[in-house]
Amino acid sequence: MPEPIRTQLVVLGAGPGGYSAAFRAADLGLTVTLVEREPRLGGVCLNVGCIPSKALLHVAKVIDEAAHTPGLGFGKPKIELDAVRGQKDKVVKRLTDGLGVLARQRKVQVVHGAARFTTATTLQVDGKDGPLEVQFEHAVVATGSTPVRIAGLPDDPRVMDSTGALALADIPGKLLVIGGGYIGLEMATVYRALGSAVSVVEFMDTLLPGADADLVKPLAKKLAGEFADIRLKTKVTGIEAKKDGLHVSFEGPDGKDVKTYDRALVAVGRRPNGKDLGLEALGVTVTDRGFIEVDAQRRTAVPSIFAIGDVAGEPMLAHKAAHEGKVAAEVIAGHKAAFAPLAIPAVVFTDPEIAWAGLTEQQAKKDGIAFEKAVFPWAANGRSLTLGRDEGLTKILFDETSRRVLGVGIVGPGAGDLIAEGVLAIEMGADAQDLALTIHAHPTLSETVGMAAEVFDGSVTDIIAPKR
Amino acid sequence: MEQNLIVPGLAENVHEADVAEVSIKPGDTIAEGDIVLTLETDKAAMELPAEFGGKVVAVKIKAGQKVKEGDLIAVLETTAGGESPQAQTAPPAPAAATEPAPAAAPAPAAPADDATALQPVTCPDLGDGKAADVIELAVKPGDRVAEGDALLTVETEKAATELPAPFAGTVRELKVKVGDKLKTGDLVALIETASNAPQAPAAEQPAPRAEPAKAAPAAAPPPAPAPQPGAGAAPASGQMPHATPSVRRFARELGVDLAHVSGSGRKGRITQEDVQAYVKAALQGGATAGGGGLAPLPVIDFAQWGEVETVALSRIRQLTGENLGRSWPQLPQVTQHDEADITDLEAFRKAQAGAAEARGAKLTVVALLLKACASALKAFPDFNASLAPDGKALIVKRYVHIGVAVDTPAGLVVPVIREVDRKGILDLATELGDLSARARERKLKPEELQGGSFTISSLGGIGGTAFTPIVNWPQVAILGVSRAAMKPVWDGAAFAPRLMLPLSLSYDHRVIDGAAAARFSRHLAGLLEDLRTLLL
Repeated sequence: MPEPIRTQLVVLGAGPGGYSAAFRAADLGLTVTLVEREPRLGGVCLNVGCIPSKALLHVAKVIDEAAHTPGLGFGKPKIELDAVRGQKDKVVKRLTDGLGVLARQRKVQVVHGAARFTTATTLQVDGKDGPLEVQFEHAVVATGSTPVRIAGLPDDPRVMDSTGALALADIPGKLLVIGGGYIGLEMATVYRALGSAVSVVEFMDTLLPGADADLVKPLAKKLAGEFADIRLKTKVTGIEAKKDGLHVSFEGPDGKDVKTYDRALVAVGRRPNGKDLGLEALGVTVTDRGFIEVDAQRRTAVPSIFAIGDVAGEPMLAHKAAHEGKVAAEVIAGHKAAFAPLAIPAVVFTDPEIAWAGLTEQQAKKDGIAFEKAVFPWAANGRSLTLGRDEGLTKILFDETSRRVLGVGIVGPGAGDLIAEGVLAIEMGADAQDLALTIHAHPTLSETVGMAAEVFDGSVTDIIAPKR
Repeated sequence: MEQNLIVPGLAENVHEADVAEVSIKPGDTIAEGDIVLTLETDKAAMELPAEFGGKVVAVKIKAGQKVKEGDLIAVLETTAGGESPQAQTAPPAPAAATEPAPAAAPAPAAPADDATALQPVTCPDLGDGKAADVIELAVKPGDRVAEGDALLTVETEKAATELPAPFAGTVRELKVKVGDKLKTGDLVALIETASNAPQAPAAEQPAPRAEPAKAAPAAAPPPAPAPQPGAGAAPASGQMPHATPSVRRFARELGVDLAHVSGSGRKGRITQEDVQAYVKAALQGGATAGGGGLAPLPVIDFAQWGEVETVALSRIRQLTGENLGRSWPQLPQVTQHDEADITDLEAFRKAQAGAAEARGAKLTVVALLLKACASALKAFPDFNASLAPDGKALIVKRYVHIGVAVDTPAGLVVPVIREVDRKGILDLATELGDLSARARERKLKPEELQGGSFTISSLGGIGGTAFTPIVNWPQVAILGVSRAAMKPVWDGAAFAPRLMLPLSLSYDHRVIDGAAAARFSRHLAGLLEDLRTLLL
């Protein structure tokens, strides 16, 4: 074995959580080693997740807007798949290469290979040049998550996970998306725009089971007109890979049937990568699902080892991981930091987009939290109508007594960007008047946030305020 | 039902003890009198027996920690209430339905949930050891009390007394009602203290007990409202302290719980300045509370009652004041009074005065006292010592340097005569005369004021029958001498006129016991009564 690496901090995983932890720690004066299993930095998010999917969703948006803008006739789009794929890969390469530059500038040593803890202060990295020992004072585990596989499905290239779907091998005539969560619906949107006849099957009784029903409704209505089929409360009992296609067996409320598809995307969730790192033997608590248990400082049961991001618990979102990474780095550098956000925004990049932050109605009812709700429909928003859209809505949940914002939910084009104001309002402890008295630019979609607050405040003029 | 096993009064003057060993664990069944804890105090190790028997539900104390009277040791499930091991095996619903609500003591279901935040308040020693009647309750569950606030009033045969809250917090449960009889050690109330509200300790609690406790709704009192944010389960963000992320981070860095900070911003928002002001106030409050817990002396304007003049104190007096002010409250001091018959000594002194004067020395009683003290200090080396800073050792001095307090116009000065045990009486008399003279002329060198291992303060030249000198720390004893007086002393056959010298020996009781002080005083008196013994 070569000479061991001695470092103050080793970070496992170079995704948004891992690189944030590594770079922040380096900026705070620690010597940092960043271990990445894949050849490229950036993790799932940059390589096979958030970024490439958004590159493709942009293509879908342009196709849809060109097709649905009244008075414009572009004809059927001519899709050059290699060029679409190339553009997506270019974006990914630009971002991941940028990470390499940022690492070099901070003198963060990057090591490629799979890591496994040997003691609470050493780990072994198995790279292409053989094993290497890293001796560390602290470690941050940011190993992320992996798509869940359904046992018993055939090992066939036509049965894809999200990574396979993003590879964009071809445009299947008929695509089955198994799982009506955000990953399945985003990829379904891409393939539908590119020309596939898309069917979605979901085990639960609704699409996007975690989101409030009033936000899902406009999306579900639009998708019902675009997808070939949406089957709820239905499970896939088997897939037979045959020459003429994938023969998929379903079991639903109307009984059993079999249908044939050219490809299938399995998007039934992600599993945290907390196991097989040798952590349990050191005393770190890893749950059955694979989550690593951490405290507010993101410290595990072993004081020298921290965990952040998907592997450290729900929600499995890149922006949560990045903030956790900074907290862990600051704690390791001796600062009194803690991960204590009041709201973590969630965004589904379908069309319309759905976004929420803080308290949801679903959660409030479950936990018995009292709240009052104000809704502003986008049909009364000028900017929305100019986009040719009127199905959106912005809702805000307020505390009954303090009138402070508890939660914000938005559905409509650009909801993912609009949610930022809601997150800030929650973190700042803003109340209904704070939002209503803040002047929002006209004509923009952001006006719907201010006007939802005016609805609660009773000062709205753009609609007839519902009686409270 | 469950009962709290509490640390009883430990011993006189013992407020705290180290837990050396915990002899019980959850699940044990113990009988009254079984040993629960082994405690170590500065005086002795002692075993603590259980005041009542039962099954140990939870142990709240670990070896190595300190306990004081009233601390919760363990929660025992006693069979007194009739319902032996409940809910754990029995289905909760029928148990709740059939269990009669115990009339005597409400089942303490709440403390099992989060007893670490709850501190028991027990009845203090009421004086005569008899029971007292509760005649009035001053608080009810949910009330916030400050340390010292009256919780209730009890009436003994002698008087009505208010029981003060020993610490601040929220009253969660009152364990007594009007008409109850209270005796020392009885549990009076459970107070939730603010300081140890959330976080870790809960995790250390034995888990199995939590569920069954909750499953006895018939017996459990209605949960008291817990209004403080941060105390209960995660509140909705609408009830969180109103502070922006940057202020929350600032508070976290300083370790400030924002639930205790009041906001000065719009709509009560907590600003960074509010957190700073809170910390500043806490620091100042802490400083006043420190320094031995003494309240600062108030500033008084005497001019309101008449004309006054402010005269600057000499540096000597200021320093003396500082030293004595430090020594007096920190040293447990006792003064031993005795008398020495110096009739013979005085006759000898007068007979030798002329001869001494011929050699340039003034033979004084103090000079003779110096020699006698040196001899006594040799016989009792503990009086010629200092206590080690950690209080765990005695530093015994092999030298005998005695300070003699001298009254000067500028204030009290204590020059030190070195190697008293190796010098002759006339030499001592000469040196004492020289030092006293130079002390009055303020011509002493600093080193002549240092290094004393014992002090003599003689007021004999002025008068008085006795006084209590203050130990000149770091020394451990000081001899005060008052004016000798002719007294009738019974010699076994008749009263004889004898010249008696009053001796007042103050000593640091941490180092010297009363018997040793009496022996030292007697020994010294014996030396003075018959100077020939100095030769032995």
